Amino acid sequence: MTELRRDPIVGRWVIINITNPKKPGDFKVGPHHYDDATNCPFCYGNEYMTPPEIQAFRHEKTMANTPGWQVRVVPNKFPALQIEGNLDRKGLGIFDMTNGIGAHEVIIETPYHAKDIADLELPEIEQILDMYCQRSRDLAKDKRFKYIMLFKNYGGAAGATLDHNHSQLIALPMIPKNVLEELNGSGKYYEFRERCIFCDLLSQEYEEKERILTQNNNFIAFCPFVPRFPFEMWIMPKAHKLFYSETTQEEISELAKILKEVLLRMKIALNDPPYNFIIHTSPIDGEARPGYHWHMEIMPRLSRVAGFEWGTGFYIVPTPPEVAIKYLRGVKI
Amino acid sequence: MPELRKDPIIGRWVIIAVERARRPKGFKTAFSIQDEGECPFCEGKEAHTPPEIFAIRKEGTKPNQPGWDTRVVPSKTPFLRVEGELNRHGQGLYDVMGGIGAHEIIIETPRHIANIADLDEAQIAKVITCCIDRFVDLSHDERFKYMLVFKNYGWDSGGGRVKHSRTQLIATPVTPKRVKEELLGAKKYYNYHERCIFCDLIRQEIKSKDRIVFEADDFVAMTAFASRSPFETWILPKQHSCDFSSMSVECRLHLGKMLKKVLTKIKIGLDDPPYNYILHTAPFRKKISKAGYWKTIEDDYHWHLEIMPRLTNPAGFEWGTGFYICPIAPEGSAKYLREVEV
Repeated sequence: MTELRRDPIVGRWVIINITNPKKPGDFKVGPHHYDDATNCPFCYGNEYMTPPEIQAFRHEKTMANTPGWQVRVVPNKFPALQIEGNLDRKGLGIFDMTNGIGAHEVIIETPYHAKDIADLELPEIEQILDMYCQRSRDLAKDKRFKYIMLFKNYGGAAGATLDHNHSQLIALPMIPKNVLEELNGSGKYYEFRERCIFCDLLSQEYEEKERILTQNNNFIAFCPFVPRFPFEMWIMPKAHKLFYSETTQEEISELAKILKEVLLRMKIALNDPPYNFIIHTSPIDGEARPGYHWHMEIMPRLSRVAGFEWGTGFYIVPTPPEVAIKYLRGVKI
Repeated sequence: MPELRKDPIIGRWVIIAVERARRPKGFKTAFSIQDEGECPFCEGKEAHTPPEIFAIRKEGTKPNQPGWDTRVVPSKTPFLRVEGELNRHGQGLYDVMGGIGAHEIIIETPRHIANIADLDEAQIAKVITCCIDRFVDLSHDERFKYMLVFKNYGWDSGGGRVKHSRTQLIATPVTPKRVKEELLGAKKYYNYHERCIFCDLIRQEIKSKDRIVFEADDFVAMTAFASRSPFETWILPKQHSCDFSSMSVECRLHLGKMLKKVLTKIKIGLDDPPYNYILHTAPFRKKISKAGYWKTIEDDYHWHLEIMPRLTNPAGFEWGTGFYICPIAPEGSAKYLREVEV
């Protein structure tokens, strides 16, 4: 028997397999395999293989584009969007188009070729998260941009084209559709109830306790009631915060702890699966959106998305979040 | 310079990133999975499927026996089940209901053929007839609002391990989100212009020719202006119609011919890639006219088929934004497909 659940924010329905949930071992993924590090453009000594760095955290007295860095940001060599130029919107009959202005940066998370965030030490993870903040704040000054998206693809099946671990940042001249849906949904709720839907959602999770994996002073990690993917996890600040980029140093160290724990549990329980994570944050177009609440969505790529999902926007989730959480909690770390 | 394009119907932006372009052969393709055991969909194996719901078969043959051309059976592993009540209820912030629906498989040929492109047009027309028959039948069920017809071909498209050509259909108790977006987009355009946006789109495309793949009889195939994946191709009837089930027998043959042409071009030109296609048609109208919404649907919506070769792997960016990055300009892919000799 399955159950249909509706996401209260964007209105998406998902189909959840209640009676016959898939177990972690039923998914044929992983473990992650790293290719040989020779010729890896993200390793120490190969800095010349990337475009010149935009920013890096590095040891004192080391020069830009040489070894000695801890986190390094470079422009994407094959950018989906280009930074130079003015936005040129135009019509073509019934179609709308614009040139592809934007920023596309790669955040090389670590000098180690074969370590993911789950394998790093807390101070190392803090530096990555801090770099996300710094790049976001820097790009927010560019008035052409309306939205900044930070995301990570881990493993080929999740879309990563290089093995050495990295995340990406894309600054866009418009608010993308999925984000707009989330903003509209939470905005409507706020208008009617004068409360943030994400804060309400957290209250319900605290009360039901069924889907919470772990929490600390500032953050909570849980399986959402309406996931799109089996073992999907959300990390959310407990306080009502609009922008990821305004995360304080103290909060960053709490976020590093919870992110490491979640990724490590996932890695062990699911045999090091490919995954994506995305930071959902408020747009930088200057408009006030008091009903929004930034958060991070982590999606292991365990199942294939087929015609039905494409056609309907319905997702089929073979493991209910209430079951997934038990496996993740059961992992010894 | 990459270019951003907006789908005029639902407002989705895509990035046409020609600098990232790879040649058609550079995508990962093919159907590498071997059949596991015996195929349950071949003629003579009727006992291996649940009992058939509908079949086009030779006179004098019995259900669940050989002698059929196309055959519809319930899915053995359905996402949604046909028995039971909807039982809509709330749980705090959330809405929940029972997983009620129909999930059926249309076996497109009695022979062990993987790709519908390799069937003849008359056989494909029979598949279309099966879809129409099931559509009409399921539309009588008061619990259902929509029926999605789709195909997953090849492992990377979500297809099964058995290399026997089939289409799936799923009737759902709610109108799915993506479908609703498209209906709303078309309706908004109609409210303002009093014209169907798809008819306008067809007129513009036929005039410009840049994205036309093939045009014949009463159908046109073109690559989408704001393609989500390289070589995304739409097939539309030139005559305005919101509902595919109203297709005449002659029209079904023409669609069969068109589908065969386009899918064969894709198969030859792109080295037999995995693909999905999805039929976009109006929701069950008996139900909606009762509820009083979508009043203008017969004028504002236009059914069509969207074919998506699965050549790229949507990653974090696509999931997060609903933006797609398409590494080949649709004009280039249309030209390429036009030149593939079939």
